Amino acid sequence: MTVSDISQRPKFFAQDNVYLPHIVVIEKIIEETPGVRTFHFNFKDKKLAQEFRFESGQFAQYSVFGVGEAPFCISSSPTRPDHLEFAAQRVGRLTNALHRLGVGAELGFRGPYGNSFPLDFLKGKNLVFVGGGIGLAPLRSLIWNVIDNRNKYNKVDIVYGARTPIDLCFQYDLEAWDKDKTVNIVTTVDRGDDAWKGKVGLVPKVLEEAAPSAKDSVAIVCGPPIMIRFTFPVLEKLGFKPAQMLTTLEKRMKCGIGKCGRCNIGNIYVCRDGPVFSYEQIKDFVSSEY
Amino acid sequence: MNKKVSKKDIAQLLKTWSQQFNVLAPSRDSGVAAMAEWDGKDTSFLDWYRNTVVPPKASFLPPMEAMFRFRKDEEGYQIEPPAKNGQKQLLFGIRPCDARAMAILDMTFEDAYKDPYYLEKRKKAVLVGLGCTNPCESCFCTSMGTSPTDPTNVDLMLIDIGDHFFIEEVTAKGKELIAKTSGLKEATKNDEAEAEKARETAYNKVSRKLDTEGIKDNLLESFDDEDFWEKVAAKCISCGICTLLCPTCYCFDINDELVKGEGTRFRSWDSCGFSLYTKMPMENPRQEKWRRVRQKVCHKYEFYPMAFDVIACTGCGRCIRLCPVNWDITQVIESVPARVKGAK
Ligand code: SF4
Ligand code: SF4
Repeated sequence: MTVSDISQRPKFFAQDNVYLPHIVVIEKIIEETPGVRTFHFNFKDKKLAQEFRFESGQFAQYSVFGVGEAPFCISSSPTRPDHLEFAAQRVGRLTNALHRLGVGAELGFRGPYGNSFPLDFLKGKNLVFVGGGIGLAPLRSLIWNVIDNRNKYNKVDIVYGARTPIDLCFQYDLEAWDKDKTVNIVTTVDRGDDAWKGKVGLVPKVLEEAAPSAKDSVAIVCGPPIMIRFTFPVLEKLGFKPAQMLTTLEKRMKCGIGKCGRCNIGNIYVCRDGPVFSYEQIKDFVSSEY
Repeated sequence: MNKKVSKKDIAQLLKTWSQQFNVLAPSRDSGVAAMAEWDGKDTSFLDWYRNTVVPPKASFLPPMEAMFRFRKDEEGYQIEPPAKNGQKQLLFGIRPCDARAMAILDMTFEDAYKDPYYLEKRKKAVLVGLGCTNPCESCFCTSMGTSPTDPTNVDLMLIDIGDHFFIEEVTAKGKELIAKTSGLKEATKNDEAEAEKARETAYNKVSRKLDTEGIKDNLLESFDDEDFWEKVAAKCISCGICTLLCPTCYCFDINDELVKGEGTRFRSWDSCGFSLYTKMPMENPRQEKWRRVRQKVCHKYEFYPMAFDVIACTGCGRCIRLCPVNWDITQVIESVPARVKGAK
């Protein structure tokens, strides 16, 4: 494997310097779960807002000035370009600062970075989306992308789960996909409550029950590492080959462009060569780095 | 015709170059040997200098470097990149192992997204190499694709021929500089012969050898051998020295600093030896020490060869000399099990 060719990727450097952020403004905040918020935002520079392009699966580096920078995937779909979205769970110093911000606050934005879901490869295939918790964020960019180009793809199955009903993110999406006759969605929780009418059980188990066919299919898996680890064997049991399984990896990143070193596993930099990988590409390294 | 310069005239030479360059030379003024701004007179380093403790990468990727400033006014946040200082650095006395390390660093900073801070300084710089006459016991450059007098990665190479340095003009940049420098003497046939003898003598003085054949494949095959890595990492105390002061290591951290409303985003050296380096709020892929030591070794001898076809170690020996617990990379590489027949 060699270093990824990035020449075809969209690039929008501020002041011609890949490390300088653009300024974006928060337009709307959605409380997804008690710890997760989605931020809708737009570029302050109107011309850039018009010109900006990205692809599903790509991420960006977001700054809270004075606190630092962190990577989050762009969770909105490029087919709905009037604003951009990302979702962040409140877990560390930066995300805590982020969650203290309100509508109108300014953030720094560098990106888009990384590769994207291989739309050409997915075209005409049955798509099986498997998501857990906030792992639905990169998937929903692709799911909306697929729905907005529905005739390019075959069957669409979604298996999504979270710990409890209040931990389900993007409930407005789940409802919309539930109503959409062209996609088939199963939602599950590890532990239900009195009001919960859906399935109870871990995502890999529910996936096994749903048993989507591996024929002409691609599974796209995104969620906590533990869920990913248990989902791949289930898919293999269902007949999926490693090249038919895609995932996005999450690592600590600082530069986002394959320099600072921390997202390195094997000869790949997750930021530059990923975050989207087939299981085929990463199975030798990831098994022992997780 | 090659030139030579008398050792007595080095101060004069550096003075001449100082008119055009910010001349850096080996110095112990800060307490550790490093390339530092030349003070305009002192050439005593010619006597004590074997190699610097701080590698010359520090002149291009400083231990700490401002990336931009930010400030908030009524209009919102303003971002100000650092002013380009336009200064050209001339590194006098860089060792061949470290010059090779610069070429290795270039691959990362040139690759894909170009790094403006590093490349701006690097492109303008002149490297004047100084051949080694007195290699350390820990030096093993001759096993790593270079040698004590290797001119490959410098603009000019100086070789000790007694009371003079023989000057080898390597690049166009180097030739141009020499053409513009007055007061140099023509080197004679005899000087050439002396230089050749010096090259051979120095080469033979590097006693430490390392066989790297098959190392990339064998490391790949040993990646999951936890027992092996546990053993390799046993005495490591995760101090980070073997990475921070390695001339080919480039990992950095990025942080913000806010003083009275004026913010600076800066980057600073970081190390895969530290567990915080990869720590995410919910998990850490390299919590255990052996995973971090594996990263250091494999990044140099396996991943870099996979990506750029070159081992990211030049045999400078710093990590051996400076390690507080005598961890020795050559012993580690020699102990990697030969699992692959005919490996590369
Ligand atoms: S790994 Fe050690 S010997 Fe090799 S270049 Fe780095 S510091 Fe020098
Ligand atoms: S490793 Fe070789 S080039 Fe480097 S200081 Fe030692 S002898 Fe000189």
